[in-house]
Amino acid sequence: MIIRGGIVYDPANGIFGEEMDLCIDRGRIVEDAKGEEIDAHNLLVMAGGVDAHSHIAGAKVNTGRIMMPDDARLGLEPATAVCRPSTGYTVPNCYAIGYRYARLGYTTAFEAATPILESRHTHEELEEIPIIDKGALTLFGSNWEVMECVREKDLGKLAAYVSWGLRASKGYGVKIVNPGGGEAWGFGANVKGIYDPVPNFDVTPAEIMRSLAQVNESLRLPHSVHVHFNNLGKPGNYTTAIESLDLFKDIKPSQTRQVVHVAHMQFSTYGGTSWNDFKSEAPVIVDYFNKNHFCTMDIGQILFGSATTMTADAPLEYGNAHLLHAKWSNNDIELEESSGVVPLVYLRKNPVNAIQWAIGLELALLTKDPWKVILTTDHPNGSSFVNYPEVVSLLMSKVKRQEELSNIHELASKRTTLPGIEKEMDWCDIAIMTRAAPARILGLEDKGHLGVGADADVTVYDLKPDEMDPSIQHDLVKKSLATAKYTIKGGVLVSRDGEITATPEGRTFWVDASVPKEDEERMMEDLKEKFDRYYSIKLSNYMVQDAYIPNPVVIKAGALPVEEVAP
Amino acid sequence: MRTITLQPLRAFEVSVEAEAISPSRFARLTLGRIRTQEVFMGNRKMKLADLFKVEGDEPLAIPEETTVVMDGDFSKVKRIGEGMIAGTLEVRGNVGMRAGNGMKGGLMTIRGNADDWLGREMTGGKIVVEENAGSHVGSGYRGEKCGMRGGEIEIRGSAGDYLGEHMCAGTIRVKGDTGDFPGAVNQGGTIFIGGDTYLPGAEMTKGSITVRGKTTMLPSYQKAEVVTLEGVQYQKYVGDLVENGKGELYAATSSP
Repeated sequence: MIIRGGIVYDPANGIFGEEMDLCIDRGRIVEDAKGEEIDAHNLLVMAGGVDAHSHIAGAKVNTGRIMMPDDARLGLEPATAVCRPSTGYTVPNCYAIGYRYARLGYTTAFEAATPILESRHTHEELEEIPIIDKGALTLFGSNWEVMECVREKDLGKLAAYVSWGLRASKGYGVKIVNPGGGEAWGFGANVKGIYDPVPNFDVTPAEIMRSLAQVNESLRLPHSVHVHFNNLGKPGNYTTAIESLDLFKDIKPSQTRQVVHVAHMQFSTYGGTSWNDFKSEAPVIVDYFNKNHFCTMDIGQILFGSATTMTADAPLEYGNAHLLHAKWSNNDIELEESSGVVPLVYLRKNPVNAIQWAIGLELALLTKDPWKVILTTDHPNGSSFVNYPEVVSLLMSKVKRQEELSNIHELASKRTTLPGIEKEMDWCDIAIMTRAAPARILGLEDKGHLGVGADADVTVYDLKPDEMDPSIQHDLVKKSLATAKYTIKGGVLVSRDGEITATPEGRTFWVDASVPKEDEERMMEDLKEKFDRYYSIKLSNYMVQDAYIPNPVVIKAGALPVEEVAP
Repeated sequence: MRTITLQPLRAFEVSVEAEAISPSRFARLTLGRIRTQEVFMGNRKMKLADLFKVEGDEPLAIPEETTVVMDGDFSKVKRIGEGMIAGTLEVRGNVGMRAGNGMKGGLMTIRGNADDWLGREMTGGKIVVEENAGSHVGSGYRGEKCGMRGGEIEIRGSAGDYLGEHMCAGTIRVKGDTGDFPGAVNQGGTIFIGGDTYLPGAEMTKGSITVRGKTTMLPSYQKAEVVTLEGVQYQKYVGDLVENGKGELYAATSSP
């Protein structure tokens, strides 16, 4: 297949809007190819989008579906010759997730949090999501075995557990959510800061985060630790964010990437002492990111309208539900986590929501290096992923931002710096934020770029970048990005003008990390005891079997001796 | 006035989804077009004329001056009059589930029984049922916060459980008894029950419920004064205190 004459933005390979042909053969980008030709003359061409943080599969997504039959009324699309029926908006059914990502020009999405115990469910759903490539990040932040290893300062054993946990869950990376808080919540409490010890475990969130990051690097995992900070969603939590970031400062990355990726930074950029004097602290956070190069973030933009918050931060969800008088669910995941789901609606005239909206944009616009900040809505926490084009059009147009600011609560203009931000992103920034940077941050070498040998995931948008001004024609930007003209996944045309043309099965990435045998044996002794005494299921039934991953991509990693870094 | 009549061509074993049947949809369609309107029987797409005998006046009219008369048993036919905005719909028989779904205006008269979910999320207009109705009259779809938002439902017989669940506005009058939990999560609707009921107004925050017959009250209601309405003495309650509610509940102190 040859894609002729497109205006290609491939920032990972230093291509910034050049007219060129792309050749595809056997699912890869190649030097030269024959066969079908796609006419993309003057049209915007990018690599397939990569979503590094999205809640698309697993127990909590399904809890969301169960709690919201009303959501399933939206987004109904009947079956077609190639598609199965779609339902839902904030929590769509599995098929709809695949089709809608493909329409958007996205070809890869990672489920952001799955406890090991629930991983079989996660993979059952991932298997049913058509078209896109995917993976899942495994939760380790409130896990008994992790906390015990941290308390014993036995990082070798911790590495063995992380390696085992990734294999057991067929997970891709280490996710930490409100470290220690999930366990404390089992006793009706929460950790209040990173130095607040976890009840009954005598470890602090700071120790958990640092140890997991050290182990992450000693195992040379492709992705860094992926952290949802303590105190997320609370006024004044930006200090917790800065304190937490400082923990990772002196840890050496094992690869050319960040040491910590901060999930949905917007929810951790809050100033003030209560909801009354709630304000943005984006300049402080961004200043930290501009000065330090070991950390990256995704913005977790909120958009006005309905959303469904779902996270392994159960105390946060309990708080949300009581603040908003919304329906809620909590789930205790045995020795590993607790989680919750609360549907809500973000309102333009609500001062807190308006400020939250502005903070996400501030983070994206103030950060100097677009490689450090990637576009997400923390689907479906901030908004559905189908609204990414709305975020892009806001980032590219000051006019649109001003229009929106005049329609929302005035405090968004007073308590954030958004009104004064002149920056308008160009197509290069957008290509980085939506493709190149997420792929690099996740450590996916063949994704997010169009160099020879890369996966043939290509998106052609019905937009002539050389003949339009995105800062004025923001409606056109939004409309064109919402429905890609052509989406090519692994060399197969999957979507044309919004119509799904083929539904190939996607692949699932997971990481198999090796550790020294003696560490593993020590760890397994602990684990056997835990399964005998506490778990509701047997160790032999716990691992996700290979049969649940029909199209695996196994990335090998392995342990190096852990060097203790002085605090 | 344009009148269109429908008669079922057979007794249906499988349910028919017929949201096409509505005076406001028929008004500007010729009889030929009406006969080709899409309906589903089970999962099979069919034309209206495959299942019903459609006759009536040919000249087009505005919805307000259109009457649809349905003669026969329609108890397996769902979603009759869905979203109708004006006109008159008269059913000389029973109707299936979700009749008057999302109705916005006009008058629907059902001479027989109505099934569950009658007038679900309706915003205007009037529905009259001469016999009994099923459960969830005037309530919201599963999971929705707001059910009936306006209009009027009158049931001359009795009604099932969850009458007016999640109601936000509008009026429901039932001459006979109702099942359990009428007016659950009522947020502003008015309900009048002529007969007996059980545990009305759970989680009610606004609106009113009047029960003329016998009722069992929830413990989360606070007694207020005794009032006389239309010559009948009622004990007034305020609640539901579980939700810090300001709803008003009137329970007759003597049997009718």
